[in-house]
Amino acid sequence: MSGRPKRGTTDELWRDSAGRPPPLNSPMKKIDKAAYQERLDRITAIFKDMMAHATEQATYRCPYKNRFDECTARFGCRNQRKPREAGGLLVCGGDDKLDYRSAWETEEAPLDVSADPAGGSVTGGSVTDGTTTQPAVIGKSIFDYADDLAVQVPTSCFRNGICHECIVEIQQGMEGLAPRTKPESFLRENYRLACQARVIDPNVDVAFAPLRRTPKILTVTEEKETALDPVVSRRGDDIFYDGELVDQFRGHVYGLAIDLGTTTVVMDFVDLETGKSVHVCSFENPQRFGGSDVMHRISYDGAFEDELWNAIINAVNHEIMDWCERTGTVRQEIYEIVVAGNATMRDLFFRLDVQSIGQKPYKSQIENEYLAGERETTALTIGTRRLGLRANPKARVYGMPLIASHVGGDVAADLATVELAAQPGVSMLVDVGTNTEVVVAGNGRMITASCPAGPAFEGGGIQYGMPGYEGAIESLRWDDGRFAWSTIGGTAPQGICGSGLIDLLAELCRHGMMSPKGVFSDRKQFEVAVVAESGITLSRQDASNLAQAKAANYCGQYIVLRTFGVAPGDVDRLFLAGGFANYVDVRNAIDIGFLAPVPEDRIVKVGNAAVQGAREILLSRSRRAELEALVKDIEHIELETTPDFFEVFVEACQFKPMPGMLV
Amino acid sequence: MAALNDIANDFLKDEIEEFIERPNERTRIIDAFARATPAMQEISAALIDGDNGTVDTLTRAALDEGVEALEVMDDGLIAGMSVVGIKFRENFIFVPEVLACARAMKAGMAHIEPILSASGIEPVGTVIMGTVKGDLHDIGKNLCIMMLRGAGFVVHDLGVDTSEDEFMDAVEEHEAPLLGMSALLTTTMPNMGKTIDAFIDNDMREDVKIMVGGASVTQEFADDMGADGTAEDAVGCVELAQQLLQELKQEQEA
Repeated sequence: MSGRPKRGTTDELWRDSAGRPPPLNSPMKKIDKAAYQERLDRITAIFKDMMAHATEQATYRCPYKNRFDECTARFGCRNQRKPREAGGLLVCGGDDKLDYRSAWETEEAPLDVSADPAGGSVTGGSVTDGTTTQPAVIGKSIFDYADDLAVQVPTSCFRNGICHECIVEIQQGMEGLAPRTKPESFLRENYRLACQARVIDPNVDVAFAPLRRTPKILTVTEEKETALDPVVSRRGDDIFYDGELVDQFRGHVYGLAIDLGTTTVVMDFVDLETGKSVHVCSFENPQRFGGSDVMHRISYDGAFEDELWNAIINAVNHEIMDWCERTGTVRQEIYEIVVAGNATMRDLFFRLDVQSIGQKPYKSQIENEYLAGERETTALTIGTRRLGLRANPKARVYGMPLIASHVGGDVAADLATVELAAQPGVSMLVDVGTNTEVVVAGNGRMITASCPAGPAFEGGGIQYGMPGYEGAIESLRWDDGRFAWSTIGGTAPQGICGSGLIDLLAELCRHGMMSPKGVFSDRKQFEVAVVAESGITLSRQDASNLAQAKAANYCGQYIVLRTFGVAPGDVDRLFLAGGFANYVDVRNAIDIGFLAPVPEDRIVKVGNAAVQGAREILLSRSRRAELEALVKDIEHIELETTPDFFEVFVEACQFKPMPGMLV
Repeated sequence: MAALNDIANDFLKDEIEEFIERPNERTRIIDAFARATPAMQEISAALIDGDNGTVDTLTRAALDEGVEALEVMDDGLIAGMSVVGIKFRENFIFVPEVLACARAMKAGMAHIEPILSASGIEPVGTVIMGTVKGDLHDIGKNLCIMMLRGAGFVVHDLGVDTSEDEFMDAVEEHEAPLLGMSALLTTTMPNMGKTIDAFIDNDMREDVKIMVGGASVTQEFADDMGADGTAEDAVGCVELAQQLLQELKQEQEA
């Protein structure tokens, strides 16, 4: 600002070139009305443009923030920081990634009692995030506690119940909170908006957890050499998307590959010019409040349109902006996003109606259009702006093609990674997850099925089950009368994740502590201690839930292999993919019938193949075209319509290996 | 075609150099300023700087000196405001700066108003604007005021946290046919309804058309509380004000 010339003083202007002062009280000249109106119209035209810009700008920048990032608001805001110099304006500590449209025109913290926590009555109850505890104070919101406990809860509406980003799970003490408010009417069970849920009974202990926890990131194992042929290319300073000029080079050309799981989302930021991954992050799918499996999400979406879509888009945007901020990247450098997800996850992301996936014959709107000859492929392409994604305004989102029914783009991505079609002999892919998918390939034929395993192996419905987060027991061994275990991150055990559960079941059976039917050796016993000092146990109910989830995996593999006409021993290669696949002890998985008894040396763990596949598709146009063609020729079996499905399922519920010969 | 050096004012030259990037706009703005007298350039510069005190003094001085009001509008105020518009569009300045510039423009226009009435030009209408009791949000309201003034309305701004009495007193004092109330918190929104009730209780409701605004204010809400209308944004606010004035006129004629 310094160095700019000062304007002349009034005094100089009062004098003409000869230095004479102006004549005083000169007669006023009249104004013509039409001429005046024309001036007003010009002013209005300028102002209208400004209003349009102001509206657009409010989607990412607080309108009260001036050009020096100072706050001009006359009300209090949590982003206000102390002035740079005494007496100056407060500095804005907020960032430019929030949609302020609602913020600057809606309510803020109501309930007077919360303004003065000291005034509230402090008694016996407490509020905790599981790590730290604070006394329960009437009127204080869960969001206030999240601040106090340093728990990160997202929001973009100044906690006014508008943005629906601050959903938390109340794990305990729902009765100590005021009833749901109007903005929370879309939430069910023990989910609340942190900004709305306030303590009413200070004697109740409340425990809460934010929805987006960070799971153990499966290090992307092999970075295969892919011939670089991305849709986005650069010639000199020009950036092209499929031949169309979209931008001037800003320093990088990035793409984003997303594995959109029902339980876990993985994002891989890729430099499209080198093909290298520059950042990988992972978080729990925040759509959890709409149910833990796809069927629940579908029915939830039918009742509360756009809530699930909002949740996932906000979470992805959050990660993009977070990465941009930490690395000094601008989001406009992201030119393409590839999304791999099962049919429901993908179509919720694309804001499509998913209701038909929830009913027989379980086909998505897109698949129906494809089958009716209305579209060439089940892949989708749309502008990022249409979905509200933060990237280059001209960037596109590519949804990996669906195979059939629930077998979606995530399996297509797996196929791209392991190149199943190109394998010699008979090969098999098992992608374990909330929905496990099985593909068997050989001699130019491919058969697939989807098994609704549910979230049991990801912690859902199991008392001490949990996804692969820090503190989860990932492996277990029965050793000299007690369990020896190790946790993710080496921290104190909080629960058991999928690979640990498989170990536990196998060891219990192996050492005669549990029958294949899931009954403990002492028939009156309802639970077994796993880690006595942490109170971690496995109950009969847990064993039963795991048996059913395992059975779904078993059925899928059994029926697909049988339909293909091969026995497990005939499989030349089994690719084991999925979130916790890499941590699974194959021997144990085979022993309890979680996995087909393919000789161990033929089993290859490929980890999160879906995100790898999405990255390869991001990097190669030819692979993309090949895959779109390939998925059209895959046969799909609907497991439940198999005549002896029920018999297979009952057999599958037992914790014992699948027979080597399938009849 | 004029060149940058044809402009006498250094502040303006710097502004153009630094902020006006598109060639066609640059040419147009250089031409406009090069045509303007140094005194008008001064007014533009002060307006772009958001300095309402200086715009006030300079405009008064220019008119006293015999400069025509339309010239002050064209070469001083509108020319300056077009630069502000471009700086805003390109994100060199933001809403608070824009509002400061609008306030400076208003300071200049205040001296032109007497000339208008001497010329037999009546203001489009007089509007009382304010944010209701208990509410301190004012940006939306301020943008509305800026638009209304730009369209030729005389606006009396009561600011934030305005009581029912303050609204009524202002309407009475200025004999304003229009009142605009803003509330952004759902907790303070009912105060708009209370103010309307106060107008009814004091037998003043017939004389004034009342507009309400704020993002959470819906048409339904406006109807419920007995307002005469609401608008989505500042542009809509001007249209609504014009429409309500028309209605009031028809009612009074009937």
